[in-house]
Amino acid sequence: MIIPVLIMLVDGIDASTQLFGHLWQTVLPSYLKNTILLGVFVVLLSLFFGVSSAVLISQTNILFKQHLRWLLLLPLAMPAYLVAYLYTDLFDYAGPVQRTLREWFNWQSPNDYWFFDIRTLFGAAIMLSLVLYPYIYMLTRGAFEQQDQNLMRASRLLGLNVKQTLFRVALPLARPAIAVSASLVLMETLADFATVQYFSVNTLTTAIYDTWLGYGDMAAANALASVLMLLILFVIVLEQRGRAGLRHQSARPNMQKDLIQLSSIQQLLASIFCWALVILGFALPFALLIAMAIEYSNVEQLTRLLDTGVNSVKVSVIAATVAVIIALVLGLYQRLHGHKFRHVPQQISGFGYAIPGTVLAMAMLSTFGPFDHWLNDVAEFLAWQQPGLILSGTIFAMIFAFVVRFSAIANGTIASGIKQIPQSLDYAPATLGMGLTKTITRVHLPILKPAVFVAWLLVFVESMKELSAVLLLRPFNFETLSSQIYQLISDEMLEQGALGAILIVLFGLLPIILLNRKREH
Amino acid sequence: MLKFALVGLLLVSSFLTSASEEVNVYSYRQPFLVKPLFDQFTEQTGIKVNVVFAKKGMAERLAREGKYSPADVLLTTDISRLVELRDKNLVQIVNSSVLQEAIPAQYHANDNTWFALTTRVRNIYSAKRLGKIDINYEDLADEKYRGRVCTRSGKHSYTVGLIASMISEHGEAYTLDWLKKVKQNLARKPQGNDRGQVQAIHQNLCDISLGNSYYFGKMLKDEKQKVWADAVYINFPNQNNRGAHVNISGVAMAKYAPNKANAKALMEFLVSEPAQALYAQTNMEYPVREGVPVSDLVASWGKFKADDLALEEIAKNRKAALILLDKAKFDL
Amino acid sequence: MTSLLEINQLSVKLQSKLILQQLDLNLSAGEILGLVGASGCGKTTLLNAIAGFAKPCAGSIQLDNRLISDSEQFIPAQDRHVGMIFQDYALFPHLSVKQNIAFGISDYSLSEQEARIDSLLALLKLSEHKDKYIHQLSGGQQQRVAIARALAPQPKLLLLDEPFSNIDARLRNELMLEIRQLLKQLNITAIFVTHNKDEVFTFADKMAVMAHGKILQLDSPTAICQQPNSWQVADFLQLGTWLSCELKKNELDTAFGLLTLTDTEYDLVKKKQQSVDGSSQKLVMLIKPQYLEINEDNPANACVEHISVTEQGYHYTLASLSPNDTAKDKVSFYSQQLLTIKEKIALKVNPHPILVYSQ
Repeated sequence: MIIPVLIMLVDGIDASTQLFGHLWQTVLPSYLKNTILLGVFVVLLSLFFGVSSAVLISQTNILFKQHLRWLLLLPLAMPAYLVAYLYTDLFDYAGPVQRTLREWFNWQSPNDYWFFDIRTLFGAAIMLSLVLYPYIYMLTRGAFEQQDQNLMRASRLLGLNVKQTLFRVALPLARPAIAVSASLVLMETLADFATVQYFSVNTLTTAIYDTWLGYGDMAAANALASVLMLLILFVIVLEQRGRAGLRHQSARPNMQKDLIQLSSIQQLLASIFCWALVILGFALPFALLIAMAIEYSNVEQLTRLLDTGVNSVKVSVIAATVAVIIALVLGLYQRLHGHKFRHVPQQISGFGYAIPGTVLAMAMLSTFGPFDHWLNDVAEFLAWQQPGLILSGTIFAMIFAFVVRFSAIANGTIASGIKQIPQSLDYAPATLGMGLTKTITRVHLPILKPAVFVAWLLVFVESMKELSAVLLLRPFNFETLSSQIYQLISDEMLEQGALGAILIVLFGLLPIILLNRKREH
Repeated sequence: MLKFALVGLLLVSSFLTSASEEVNVYSYRQPFLVKPLFDQFTEQTGIKVNVVFAKKGMAERLAREGKYSPADVLLTTDISRLVELRDKNLVQIVNSSVLQEAIPAQYHANDNTWFALTTRVRNIYSAKRLGKIDINYEDLADEKYRGRVCTRSGKHSYTVGLIASMISEHGEAYTLDWLKKVKQNLARKPQGNDRGQVQAIHQNLCDISLGNSYYFGKMLKDEKQKVWADAVYINFPNQNNRGAHVNISGVAMAKYAPNKANAKALMEFLVSEPAQALYAQTNMEYPVREGVPVSDLVASWGKFKADDLALEEIAKNRKAALILLDKAKFDL
Repeated sequence: MTSLLEINQLSVKLQSKLILQQLDLNLSAGEILGLVGASGCGKTTLLNAIAGFAKPCAGSIQLDNRLISDSEQFIPAQDRHVGMIFQDYALFPHLSVKQNIAFGISDYSLSEQEARIDSLLALLKLSEHKDKYIHQLSGGQQQRVAIARALAPQPKLLLLDEPFSNIDARLRNELMLEIRQLLKQLNITAIFVTHNKDEVFTFADKMAVMAHGKILQLDSPTAICQQPNSWQVADFLQLGTWLSCELKKNELDTAFGLLTLTDTEYDLVKKKQQSVDGSSQKLVMLIKPQYLEINEDNPANACVEHISVTEQGYHYTLASLSPNDTAKDKVSFYSQQLLTIKEKIALKVNPHPILVYSQ
């Protein structure tokens, strides 16, 4: 799985220095600056949204707590490119908000008033944060709930009130979880090609596109993509160091505890804050989609939707299944084999998540293209019928890209599932005369069923949303929901694809609802 | 193990490739724009048309696939793409008297590697509130339009084509200066598509924008967008000198086309009178085939003088145009 | 001695279940109380109520003549001046040893903080570890840090929740003595919870036995062992084994023969037999192994059920054999003589000051 990335890196080495020099002298510094600023802004804003909502939900007596608890996760179901499109459309000069304002106040031109420009770095950062903060919310809230109740009590007995305890104990202890989730957000931001484009924000991604498609210099593009990869790798290393500190967790989860008592005005403000996140990150864009769907839907769209929907589901099901099988094999291998480098395969496979979809697609073509050629040459030599491009020209390449990209999710989920199986269960069946294969099929797999289910679902949903790899790798006459929506969006005709977009969002809601229900019981 | 896998793959592929008469198209054009044409082609000939549409990376994909590429016909929306495909040695010569006769000499390659299907003008739209104006591309840099010009990304092939033609006319130094001044005149960062700019004029965000000709027709036919189009005049620039910049949508045959005969048939169909008429009527482009009338709506915009700069010249200056865009930091 | 802690009629409900029922407890300044009881009897809840983590539904708690909890007011934990050592120490993993100890005294001036920390580090022999993090310390060292941290703000009362359960058995006794000495030296009042009654004898001045949300008996450990005031107390402390008995005239009839009672003993037993509603109660007698003897003349009345070897010779568990006795009594018995399993023998009970309880 690492091969495509290696090939990309090697390709990048002999990049033309001339083009690089030109880019460096002209636009690359601004692109880099934008990339870094975007990363910083998105992380800061997501931290603000995510950590404060996690604190409000798990540490205070906020109103509507039971509802907000899971509602705050909903923005995860919104693909960033959809939210980006809907909001630029809404807040643009020509959009309904500014139009209405102009009508009300009888303004004639942009010189008559000030309105924030959504198509800026900061606008993009806000939009991305609105859909990415749930990662931080989810992990931070989880960390709070896992914290040892006695640590909080010890702090109270040492004279600190609930609020002081939050800042001096609970938050510092949640730091590793916050760091991990922030790095996830950063990776998503750096890897996002489609979203920043709507905001006319030029990042390293733009440079990759320009060099590849504009200047037609694949090698330089590969080199730039490698730079992006290095940035992301740096984030991963930070993340793993953060995770190393995640040692202290308790078997006594912090369920019944003293909450920070907010005054009624504070309670009101706090709930308004959380509701605003839910509404801006999910409810409003979703409502816009529904309004579009009601206005523009027709029978022809529905039949087309059926075709593309089936395609989407098909590739996502295959990708999810393959990813889960690989994760199971790797996880069990790591568990049941004792040697020193046993966890290396799993770690490497995790990098895939950090590779932007387009970069990955490029790498796939570089990898499977030659392999296909070799296959055809062999067939020709053996005087068999030539198979054609059965790897790079079929859904195989697409599915492979999905699996590489989303393996990390499946691995993480299943690895934590495996961790929860007591070590003694690895050995107990042997004492009952059960072989290794039987042990796995009769003991580990049944116990892992819930983890497998969750992993499958997460990969499935991510594959439904994935766009860049689909655009570059799909075979003839093959559209998925995401590629179709993207094309409509790029022609500013999302109305025609609103139904499909709703479908993607609804699929995205599935794991949130199911995971939430699992947690409650 | 590997052997079994190989045999398996070959078996699978044998029924993948065993389809009947077909032709495979790699298209830079939106599928819904060309689908009616393909449907008619299939109806006439019984040849099935398979399409994969991608705005980006088609040439790269083709290059990687090499001699086993399934692509037969390549459709583009820009001369530069066609020339790029030829320069990368990804297309082949098509000797067809049908094509030769249908397409005027300046609209196909001398070596018959590419053929134009339609032409489109890079127009300048102006707000009706400015009154009737006579405008050149050079005027976009005029200070009197400070903060009143809108355009899509400079990196879009339509804009790049125009800049390439400016380089041919005035040289790089002048063009860079012009780009910088145009950038100063922009009402907002380059964004959106050509129609979005007209909408912005309608909303009084700017007065002047760049846009292709057929979009005007499409907006007029769209219930919601008609008000936008009604707010502007469509201008054919540089009528008193070299003429308006013209680009083409075109077609080429892939170098390793497996269905060569079908590909040729499709290409010949696309320049046939009914197909060209369809292009003119539904897409509101200018057909390349002489004698095929433009749509009534397009005709109502009047006749115009086109820049007779050789299309290959535009393609040649494409890279220089991109470098100038970066130097002027046009999109930033 | 003045009373430092006074608990009156304390009741605590958790999830609508009554965990503490009208509990009373008094503790004098400087005393160390060992709180024992089966798990689930409410020990931890009592600690939580004192510390301020469980809100009582009735009753009051006074600490050092200050009302800290009653039906109207509930002083929050941070204002009670109660220290606590948790079973797993609950040390802050993100802070060093020194920072852990300083945690509760951040409102002291810096020089005061330094002085206090240094004296505690010295007292608990932690000076060389002051900059280490918790996971770098051994279990015993961690406990010392926990104690130093709890003592730093000079609490009025120290609560210890099974503090020795995570300590290696070989070190435990030594550590207990050391900490007891420390608490005595600083004249600290403490309540410590354990399920191991042996710890109480080493560590505590007083002992309280809890069951079903109430304190059954509160006294010095020796007094309780000599005169357990109820069957539950004796049974929990495993002071002996149980032999069912019946009052026959002025004698007590057991499976191992009749025992003559003195007059005072007779009155006591008679009283035990009378229950509240007047019906007669089933009686049991606490029997310690040293009062049992093999009597070879009599017919066999017991059977060997279990054998183990101890310092005092062979230890047997014997089951009574009397034909009309459906509930077989099981008693402990030591002997130098080797018996085999299932062997039937005759036992007799030697005269001794008897302890009889209604069950």
